[in-house]
Amino acid sequence: MTTSPRRVWWKTVVGLVLTGLMLFPVYWMINVSFTRDQDMRADPPHLFPTDGTLDGYRAVLDQQLPYLGTSFLVGLGTVALTVALAAPAGYALAKLRPPGGPALSFLLLIAQMIPGIIMAMGFYAIYLTLGVLNTLPGLILADTTLAVPFAVLIFTAFMSGIPDELLQAAVVDGAGRLRTFWSVVLPVSRNSIVTVSLFAFLWSWSDFIFASTLAGGGDHQPITLGIYHYIGNNNQQWNAIMATAVVASIPAAVLLVLAQRYVSMGVTAGAVKD
Amino acid sequence: MTGLNRRRRLAAVAVIALAAVTAGACSSSSGDSDGGGGGAYLVWDPYPQFADDSDWVALLKKCGTSAGVTVERTGYDTTDLTNKALLAAQQGNSPDVLIVDNPVISTLAEAGALTTTEENKLDVSSMAPNLLGAGQSGGKTYGVPIGANTLALYYNKDLLTAAGVDPASVTDWTSLTSALTKVKAKGKKGITFSAIGTEEGSFQFLPWFWGSGAQLTSLDSPQAVSALTLWKDWLKQGLAPNSVINNTQTTSWQEFASGNFAFAENGTWQLANAEKLGFSYGTIAIPASAGGPAPAPTGGEFVSIPVQKKTDRYATSQKLVTCLTNADNLLTTDTTLSYVAPVTAVQDRQATENPKLKVWVEAVRAAKGRTGDNLGTKYPKISEPLWTAVQAALSGGKSPQEALTAAQASATSK
Amino acid sequence: MAWGFLAPTVVYLLAFYAYPLYRNVELSLREYTVRSFVQGGAPFAGLDNYRTVLTDPAFWPTLAHTLVFTGASLVFQFTIGMALALFFRQHFPLSGTLRALILVPWLLPLIVSASTWSWLLNSDSGLVNAALGVVGIDPVNWLTSPTWSLTSVIIANVWIGIPFNLVVLYSGLQAIPVEVYEASALDGASGWQRFWSITFPLLRPVSAITLLLGLIYTLKVFDIIWIMTRGGPTGSSATLATWSYRLGFGNMLPEFGPGAAVGNLLIVMALIAGLVYIRSQRRQYQR
Repeated sequence: MTTSPRRVWWKTVVGLVLTGLMLFPVYWMINVSFTRDQDMRADPPHLFPTDGTLDGYRAVLDQQLPYLGTSFLVGLGTVALTVALAAPAGYALAKLRPPGGPALSFLLLIAQMIPGIIMAMGFYAIYLTLGVLNTLPGLILADTTLAVPFAVLIFTAFMSGIPDELLQAAVVDGAGRLRTFWSVVLPVSRNSIVTVSLFAFLWSWSDFIFASTLAGGGDHQPITLGIYHYIGNNNQQWNAIMATAVVASIPAAVLLVLAQRYVSMGVTAGAVKD
Repeated sequence: MTGLNRRRRLAAVAVIALAAVTAGACSSSSGDSDGGGGGAYLVWDPYPQFADDSDWVALLKKCGTSAGVTVERTGYDTTDLTNKALLAAQQGNSPDVLIVDNPVISTLAEAGALTTTEENKLDVSSMAPNLLGAGQSGGKTYGVPIGANTLALYYNKDLLTAAGVDPASVTDWTSLTSALTKVKAKGKKGITFSAIGTEEGSFQFLPWFWGSGAQLTSLDSPQAVSALTLWKDWLKQGLAPNSVINNTQTTSWQEFASGNFAFAENGTWQLANAEKLGFSYGTIAIPASAGGPAPAPTGGEFVSIPVQKKTDRYATSQKLVTCLTNADNLLTTDTTLSYVAPVTAVQDRQATENPKLKVWVEAVRAAKGRTGDNLGTKYPKISEPLWTAVQAALSGGKSPQEALTAAQASATSK
Repeated sequence: MAWGFLAPTVVYLLAFYAYPLYRNVELSLREYTVRSFVQGGAPFAGLDNYRTVLTDPAFWPTLAHTLVFTGASLVFQFTIGMALALFFRQHFPLSGTLRALILVPWLLPLIVSASTWSWLLNSDSGLVNAALGVVGIDPVNWLTSPTWSLTSVIIANVWIGIPFNLVVLYSGLQAIPVEVYEASALDGASGWQRFWSITFPLLRPVSAITLLLGLIYTLKVFDIIWIMTRGGPTGSSATLATWSYRLGFGNMLPEFGPGAAVGNLLIVMALIAGLVYIRSQRRQYQR
């Protein structure tokens, strides 16, 4: 398993190329965000924004920053609620195998097939009655429906891989189910928790349909609605739209890289401890 | 094992039964919220591009103050607004004033979501009849136009001069096609438009369709076929790019702005952007097949007053709408939107203040409503087959005749 | 005790999914017009909406597109995702950072990523055609010809789906204890053998759930296709999901009944996939 440094660098180069390929459309988005209207459909297209403009960014920095804050709050709330709901459920389905468990997994699968727009219409009716339209908790609750079924299924799949001996050992030590869950299952499942959190965050970050239906009229609008400042009824300002997307993805991308650091550190730390 | 299976099945049944009970509980407790409440009046518009510090919002606030109420305004994406308005009407949560794209008015009226001018006492007598038509059905009027737009041909003066084409000579389809051919011979591109598979595509095709003498009640007439053949031949001869099949009006404007196209079919709303072009431009009316200007469809939004449970709110809503649509305010609003006003007197003022608007005022006066001719909610059932036919012919699947015959069959079967 | 852990999720499911699901079924069984949608009182229509949809000439082509779109997307997303996961599992400088960066496409609102793809694939001013031109290939009408439109939306969808597969499979790989590999490395197994005899079998539960979730998400995809081609030209890239959206919401005069019926057919398709999954799970229980 020993590899020479030269070979490792070769892998880094391949990794860079692969990442570059995957991110090329993102580069294009950045390119467009700097492009003047008259160059947007140049034929042949310009690979670099040679006569660039900062108009898009000017518009975004003037108008979009509050939306970013809302998106962050909604994303964090969605992550917290999703993990809190789904982790115990995943544990129960994977390790306690209750009667009706498979039926429940099945319902979770079906739940994800309901079209988003129908879900949003249902929520609208419920929220109107409860009076939580245009509130942050309302939007967070709705956004968790994007992630909870997924999260339960993922937790189930990952937690079923936890060796039974580990759990039995905890029981022998006199721990109850709750203690076992809290101090054995959760720490071992750090990887899947991070995976689930990541997706819960990303989904709420890019959600448009719930935001538009349930928070469109309020003071708490996420960044996806902010983009619609540049989509008029007849006309779209594409450099500003793309600039919004760029500005919105930078903080989130930083977060991803940091989370990533944490995961790999956690994994190695866990391996050493074992 | 079987026992376990039965228990599982029982649990599943229990879950489903509980689901049904909860669903029933949710649907029966319909909302009794007060739709805004107190002195606040809700206004929804399709202008998300206007932020809270814009002139438009300032105008709304001002009208609210003069009516003695506060205005709470929300701007929605235009396609999203139709669904949202229907949903709100279903839940009894409609805004007090709703501004929507004109073809949507007949749909919302059909749904019983809008009040008529008899109920809300709006005065629409000053509005131009050809614009008001889109808001009328069954002899009733459901809203007031706030501004109108339509389509014309923008041209690139520099390119036409280089190709030796006098824009004034473009008066019918033959002269237009020959102008395009001359431009192409110079290595530039002819014309760009939007033939996308949505209402936008029908909107852009209609001037040619109507300009051929065709009627929406008969999509497969020889005239209609000639209009579609015109477009198809342009694509075949390379006078128009293949990308038009997927172009929105914004995309086709970006193509024109690149300076490579001699003509672009686009709307009144691009006037502000036209001033930013890197070349000099002009506008002509879209020519009819046999010459003269073709009737173009009217675009633009209507202000309406949705049905409320508390009918005493209409009086204030009426004051708000009257304020928004009085002559001075129309002038301001339509200038910011780059629209033509719906009132003849205001149109004249616009034309004197900005001579470039003169072409557009004339175009709007000659334009036709899409849902007019008593089509109302039949229009969407005609428009979808129409844009489908345009797409089928342009993407090469079918001949114009085949495509339009299929469209007519589909429109009559619905 | 087990249900104590499940209770929050069950309550949550009932509270938030039951009503929309009931609503979707109800919409499909009544004859809704815009008027009855708002005012109520739509007559019960039994399976009429389903009959309308199934006898529509567009049904079979659309179903075929759905199967091709879903099948092709799954195969490519999964294989590429797996390959990238295996690649990034080897530790090399920057591996963690690069792997995190590959997730960036997920941060973009779909309207932006889908529009970017239609930008790149534009017939006349698109970069892809410009690049093909450099190597002497004639421009392809990616989005505007019926032959290519489905391929184009599949490419975009695969691109959007790769990060999901990468992340889930990567986490799955992390869960495999290193000792297992060390044992086999001593036996002198090659990399390929190691993958087929150790990694793949141990990754089965995670692979199964990734594929199943991928299937469900792909069946549901409509925004990417809608933004790129509107399902056209002439329905050549329409799937059941875009068709359902077009019927119910993409038109000025919505047809809620047939729209919901198409949506429910999709739910049935997912149901079948779910049953297959549950069966395989049960087989594992019994082992």
